[in-house]
Amino acid sequence: MRIILAPLRRHSLMPVLVLLQVALACAILCNVFFLAWQRLQPMLAPSGVDADNLILVDNLAAQGRTYTAAESVAGEDALRAVPGVRAASSGFGLPMVSIASIMVNLQGPTHTAVGVNAFFGKGLVQTLGLQMVTGRDFLPSEYRPWGLGASNGSNSDWDTGVTQPVIITQALADKLFGAAPAVGQLLADPDPADKSDHGYQVVGVVKHLLRNEIGLATDGRADYTVLLARNIGNTAMLSYAVRVDPAMRDIALQGVKNAIKRQFGGANAGGAQARVQTYNEKRNDAFKSSRAALWLLLGMVLAIVIVTLVGIMGLTGFWVQRRTRQIGIRRALGARRAQILCYFFAENLLIVSVGILLGMALAYAGNILLMHYYELPHLPWMYLPVGAAVMLVIGQLGVLAPALRATEVPPVVATRSV
Amino acid sequence: MFGYYLDMAIRSLKHNKVLTVLMVLAIGVGIGASMTTLTVMHLLSGDPLPGKSATLFRPLVDPDPTPERTHETPMDVMDYRSAMDLWSAHRADRQTLVVQSPVKVVAAATNVPPLMLMLLSTTTDFFPMFDVPFQYGSGWTADDDERRSRVAVISASLNDKLFGGANSVGRTLHLRNTDVRIIGVLKPWRPSPLFYMVAGGRFAHGDTADFYGKPEDVFVPFSSSLEINDGNFQQFTCWALPKIPGHLIDAPCEWVTVWVQLGDAGKAAAYRRFLADYAAQQKSLGRFTHAENTRLPNLMEWLDYNGVVPSDVHLQTWLAFAFLAICLFNTIGLLLAKFLRRGGEIGVRRALGATRGAIFAQFLMETALVGVLGGVLGWLLTLAGLSLVRRQPTPYADMVHLDVLMFATTFALSIAVSLLAGALPAFRASRVAPALQLKTQ
Repeated sequence: MRIILAPLRRHSLMPVLVLLQVALACAILCNVFFLAWQRLQPMLAPSGVDADNLILVDNLAAQGRTYTAAESVAGEDALRAVPGVRAASSGFGLPMVSIASIMVNLQGPTHTAVGVNAFFGKGLVQTLGLQMVTGRDFLPSEYRPWGLGASNGSNSDWDTGVTQPVIITQALADKLFGAAPAVGQLLADPDPADKSDHGYQVVGVVKHLLRNEIGLATDGRADYTVLLARNIGNTAMLSYAVRVDPAMRDIALQGVKNAIKRQFGGANAGGAQARVQTYNEKRNDAFKSSRAALWLLLGMVLAIVIVTLVGIMGLTGFWVQRRTRQIGIRRALGARRAQILCYFFAENLLIVSVGILLGMALAYAGNILLMHYYELPHLPWMYLPVGAAVMLVIGQLGVLAPALRATEVPPVVATRSV
Repeated sequence: MFGYYLDMAIRSLKHNKVLTVLMVLAIGVGIGASMTTLTVMHLLSGDPLPGKSATLFRPLVDPDPTPERTHETPMDVMDYRSAMDLWSAHRADRQTLVVQSPVKVVAAATNVPPLMLMLLSTTTDFFPMFDVPFQYGSGWTADDDERRSRVAVISASLNDKLFGGANSVGRTLHLRNTDVRIIGVLKPWRPSPLFYMVAGGRFAHGDTADFYGKPEDVFVPFSSSLEINDGNFQQFTCWALPKIPGHLIDAPCEWVTVWVQLGDAGKAAAYRRFLADYAAQQKSLGRFTHAENTRLPNLMEWLDYNGVVPSDVHLQTWLAFAFLAICLFNTIGLLLAKFLRRGGEIGVRRALGATRGAIFAQFLMETALVGVLGGVLGWLLTLAGLSLVRRQPTPYADMVHLDVLMFATTFALSIAVSLLAGALPAFRASRVAPALQLKTQ
């Protein structure tokens, strides 16, 4: 150890520069990994739906009036009549449809309130192709109308205080009830604006269902979605989910487009703006900016790695060159090549480790700074060892070439110019 | 002396090409990254109306009558009645109303298919107030606002699309079911951000790129548009549900933006009083409950309050400058390695009478030259970086470019960084003891 520390003390400038570079790079890398993971989580989260066979219709806007429940149902019927369509539901708040999303607060027996996205619509479990884990789907008699008049009138079902059935996801069941069985449990809605004090009763649990506010689908909140037994009517906006036969996907897509045009495309109607897209197209669009951001972060990581690697190589190379004579003396005194190699690796390990320690502190400080300005959660401590490991590898790689050159120094150098 | 140092610097840089290339790369990449983000930041955070922004104000009141709902600050926009009251009072030098809505547009006697465009409902003062440039014709008069004239001003890009850029004043545009006469065509106009529509930034969670969208394509008198596009208006928020969606004149909704121009501080103070008095009067009439909740921010205060620069852009700027710091340390190390290797040369120069200052100046010249080369590379990388930003799916992508100021900043920053990096190595080089170096030779 002393043999490593002595030259570091005597010529401290070079190691300090390496150390600072490593510290900064480590701090940035930790935060960049963290930012990238925040963006990546919603993209990796399972959707829970039958993605390949799902078509979504949205942006059907009534102009100056509202669509009635009858029109909403007529649309469903028209879509079901299309060849290749297996199921169709008029829904509000659908997967990847982020124009309108509904936030509901749920409070479980543990008194933790969870903000979730609610999906409304008849038969959504079947139409979206969700996988039931336990419990059951809504019964046809359980559906209540939802829409402008229905939801806010003083004597509407929404406000009667009757417990409403709800289907939740496995992730929510775990969060709200822990190990206890979720089906049959009651949930409160602690929304202060909603004075009706109705609660929810869990009737079923589905495996996954990705929420439609995908920006919030991070840190295990991807599946914070519930289904409510509501059918759609009296709304200015309609949207449909359509599940098609895998063998007839293309024909069905064209058929759905035509059906929407026929049903809603009259003069001056909102059908002219309707968007008919497959789930995968919608998903692709929804993650466009996330993908761009990820490429940027990846470029950032590459640039940092290359610059740091080159920096360590350059500095260590110079430092090795300056100590050619010492190396020669050590070789002359009997040190093997492997020992010289080990010496430089160990020295680098020491410098980089100190740099990493400093870098971790910097990473944390940087994260607090970012949190102060932006809506970011705390940097989880797991990122620190990841950043540290990357820096260690970079350090050892950087020292490889100069250390190999050092092993080539013949012992005879020690005898020269003395 | 300058020429001599420059000559020596070039020789030295040529002597060790690998090291030179590495240093130029380090500085160039760092400068490229930080200047790309800085340029975007500069474009997004600038004053959209330099010289005039301090005279533009945004009156805000709190028309929500619900007693238990107290807001810390008034809502960003107003209900129809309050907006009309403030506008028609004419207590400011100029005042205007602004509302955006989507509309279907067909041009008579052209074969362009129907377009869904954004319609801006506003009043006569809009154009002079915000220095909107006209190519053909002009805006409408106060009389047109009064008489609900069927007239329109269109954007340069719509004029290009529909009429091939020709003077289209006098031609007819079909807005939904109504014919309007074009009386003005704008020059290309791209305020950054679209300041007169900025609202609700505090609810955007930093995701504010949408404030940098393009201006609307069709401008119509506010009074006329209420009839033309009835049913298509969108509320900012409502304190109770509107009876008919899209029809907001008598709805309990906030949806109209008001801007006023007040020439000096005295007028601003007077308007502030007027606004407070108006709110108090409305409270006594029973229409307002939170009368004390009024504000009058000016344009830049309003943009700050809404945090218009997207947090992504802030974040990237921070990251890029942290990266530049890594590059700086890197360059310091490389320069140190380079200079200290030349102990012999320094010893000879010192022995021949060069002062420490001369050695310092010589090496600083070398680093400055690295800075210039790094600046050139940084400039090229900035151009590449900006073209990448232009291909991003963001609303401001189309206006990203490198202006003269940022071009100069690129080189200034590059030379500053290289001199900063070179100061310590050059100082160390100038302290080299000549005798020791000569002896070892």
